[in-house]
Amino acid sequence: MYPRLAKREGDVVQRGTVLFHDKKHPSIVVRSPVAGVLKEIRRGARRVITDVVVERSGDGEETFTSYTADQLGSMSAEDAVAAAMATGLFPAFRTRPLDRIPDPTEMPQSIFIAATESGPLQPGADVLLTADDQANLQAAVTLLKCVAPVHLTMGAGTNHPALQVTGATTHRFSGPHPSGDAGLQVNLVDPPRGQNRVWVIKAWDAALMGRALLEGRFPNERVYAAVGAGCAQPRFVKTLVGAPLKAIAGEAKVPSRWIRGSVLTGTAVDEGRWASFGTRAVHLLPSEVPRYILGWAMPSLGAWSFHRSFLRGFGGAPEGGVDLRPGTFGGERAIVPIGAYQKVVATPDILPDFLFKSILAGDLEEAITLGLLDITMEEAALCTYICPSKVEFDVILKKGLELYEQEA
Amino acid sequence: MQKALEGMFDGIRPKFEGKDAPLGWAWPLFEGAETFFLTPDHKTHTGAHVRDRMDMKRLMIFVLYALAPCILFGAYNVGQQGFIAEGVADFSAVDALVRGLWHMIPLIICSYTAGGLAELVFCIVRKHEINEGFLVTAMLYPLTLPPTIPLWMAAAGIIFGVVIGKEVFGGVGMNILNPALTARAFVFFTYPAAISGAKVWDVGGRWWPMGSEATVVDGYTGATPLLAVTGMERGADPAAGLAELGWGYSELAFGMIPGSMGEVSAVAALLGAIFLLVTGIASWQTMVGCVLGLLGMGAVLNGVAGPESLALFHLPPHYHLVMGGFAFGAVFMATDPVSSPTLNASRFVYGIGIGALCVLVRVVNPAYPEGMMLAVLFMNVFAPLIDYVVVQRSTRRRAARLAAA
Repeated sequence: MYPRLAKREGDVVQRGTVLFHDKKHPSIVVRSPVAGVLKEIRRGARRVITDVVVERSGDGEETFTSYTADQLGSMSAEDAVAAAMATGLFPAFRTRPLDRIPDPTEMPQSIFIAATESGPLQPGADVLLTADDQANLQAAVTLLKCVAPVHLTMGAGTNHPALQVTGATTHRFSGPHPSGDAGLQVNLVDPPRGQNRVWVIKAWDAALMGRALLEGRFPNERVYAAVGAGCAQPRFVKTLVGAPLKAIAGEAKVPSRWIRGSVLTGTAVDEGRWASFGTRAVHLLPSEVPRYILGWAMPSLGAWSFHRSFLRGFGGAPEGGVDLRPGTFGGERAIVPIGAYQKVVATPDILPDFLFKSILAGDLEEAITLGLLDITMEEAALCTYICPSKVEFDVILKKGLELYEQEA
Repeated sequence: MQKALEGMFDGIRPKFEGKDAPLGWAWPLFEGAETFFLTPDHKTHTGAHVRDRMDMKRLMIFVLYALAPCILFGAYNVGQQGFIAEGVADFSAVDALVRGLWHMIPLIICSYTAGGLAELVFCIVRKHEINEGFLVTAMLYPLTLPPTIPLWMAAAGIIFGVVIGKEVFGGVGMNILNPALTARAFVFFTYPAAISGAKVWDVGGRWWPMGSEATVVDGYTGATPLLAVTGMERGADPAAGLAELGWGYSELAFGMIPGSMGEVSAVAALLGAIFLLVTGIASWQTMVGCVLGLLGMGAVLNGVAGPESLALFHLPPHYHLVMGGFAFGAVFMATDPVSSPTLNASRFVYGIGIGALCVLVRVVNPAYPEGMMLAVLFMNVFAPLIDYVVVQRSTRRRAARLAAA
């Protein structure tokens, strides 16, 4: 979204006050999690707003319309979307394809609520949802059902009380990453037809939305996970949304790269910044990259790898976890297809080698035919992770999607 | 040790790195040497934050590991065939191995040196990093040569293979043909007398340090089994003929036969194949396809053969598996991931094509008793076409699935 600020530096804000809204669709708003003074607006390259800093003081609160369960179930699609936007949590939705915040004027083909998470060290439903969330999630499902058919996805073995809701079609997923990625689940269950969009949201975000609808106030508490080998004390922290990263993860044990989200698709940020709206993990990745003598020839028995030229490639994670580092561990080469990429791409009928090559060639039409809009960023990031040629397929996919949006 | 290495490379790095460095032109050489000894410390900047430890160097070195049985047995057999040609019966295995290595190692060194120089010149001119794929090419190539080939011919071949087979297309990953076979094809068509016929496959009568003066015994033909079958009269039973020459199926399979240095033993190639398949480096689809294609076409030719047909038509299909360069080619040449098709389904088709063509060339054209090289190169050219057909099928299936959803 392109944010347009509703407040200026120095303005007094309350919990629930709209801080900024989308330029194109002003009803998509982002609300302040706390009462206080808007201290600073930070901008990055080309003056893009990167952080809006509110200094806490007082406990004033701005509320919005609340609904009963009955009211939620009997709305028109437009009213339902408007109610969702008013909570300030609408930006938790993403579209498939393209992974953008949805255009609220275009109704989706269906809505996926994913209570699954398979990303590396990412917290899932067992941590982020409590039994109390059943009513909240039910409220969200009831509302979203007025917009489009709702699908609820969950882990194959889960019996979480919060997920016992009615009104949604249930699907169960298991297996290694990316099985928990909502984008993949959409591809498997209800792929978008033609120009249609499918909206996806994590179940914990949907529960927050439901709670906001029932209570008419902005829910500002979140559980964040502090993870990674650089983290002195890995833990779950219940705090305010947008809390300082250091308040969540503490000081780094060793010099580390601070990542919001996962090591596959997360964003590296300065440690002085804040937790994001969407991700629920702060990963401290030790930044030193070890060098190995004759690493290409050694058996490297303990080394963690996807490939079977390492012993660990046959399976079995080492005890005490995997020591991942932000290194490439090899030089960049041309793609040598050894048939590995297919193994991490779960979307059906995608030929990753040909898709990525068509993007590199700038052949947009061919790329779309081969599934440019279907393959998920998690899958592309996994291709990057396992690539022996150290080619960055997620970067290539981003370029392809940018090209698509320019032309469209 | 590690500290010392890091210190050494960091010490001389300023001489090579950057635009104004005095030895900036030799950067690929420095980079190649450094990453040979130490894995690079490059950090990820864009894309996923973490990467697998697997890299191209490891991929390629594992192919060399897989070649070890072929190299060792090949060396032994070169020596052994030398003794057999001289009529010497009481030679030890060590003698045979040493004698074989005496003839084999110069060719391997020659291949690495001449090909390496060509590679390095290209890397410096084109300013790209040294491709480790060359390590495999330069080892595969001498193994497909007869032990008696002059060094200068071997050098000319590998230079042609590296330059025309690979570098003009942009290096490993961009080439259309298998570079090692391109090199061999160059020698095959340019110096046919040195790489075909009956006189080139054994080192009998050639000097080696531990040997005494010896000459090839009278009446020793030196023909390879395939050549021997080609020479049999029409309608003959080739298996019986081979057995008469002392080549039962197990001799053929183990490779106690004259032939190219590394190609003679199907068993050694099979060991390499197991290693490549267990480590997930080569495609089983290609290998299985090759075997099926070969057996199928062999059976077809058996079926059409009459009493007036050439003896090769009557050769049982499973003999084709263990004769000539088929096993070595199916395991190490056909599976080259760059010059073979990308998709598993296409690799199966591609393999069948190679196996079938190999037998066709062997049997139907008596001028070429061995067809594996030509079969692989021919199917290399068709690889993109096979992929194209499979991609079209996949996209149609995808469209149908999305329409039905």
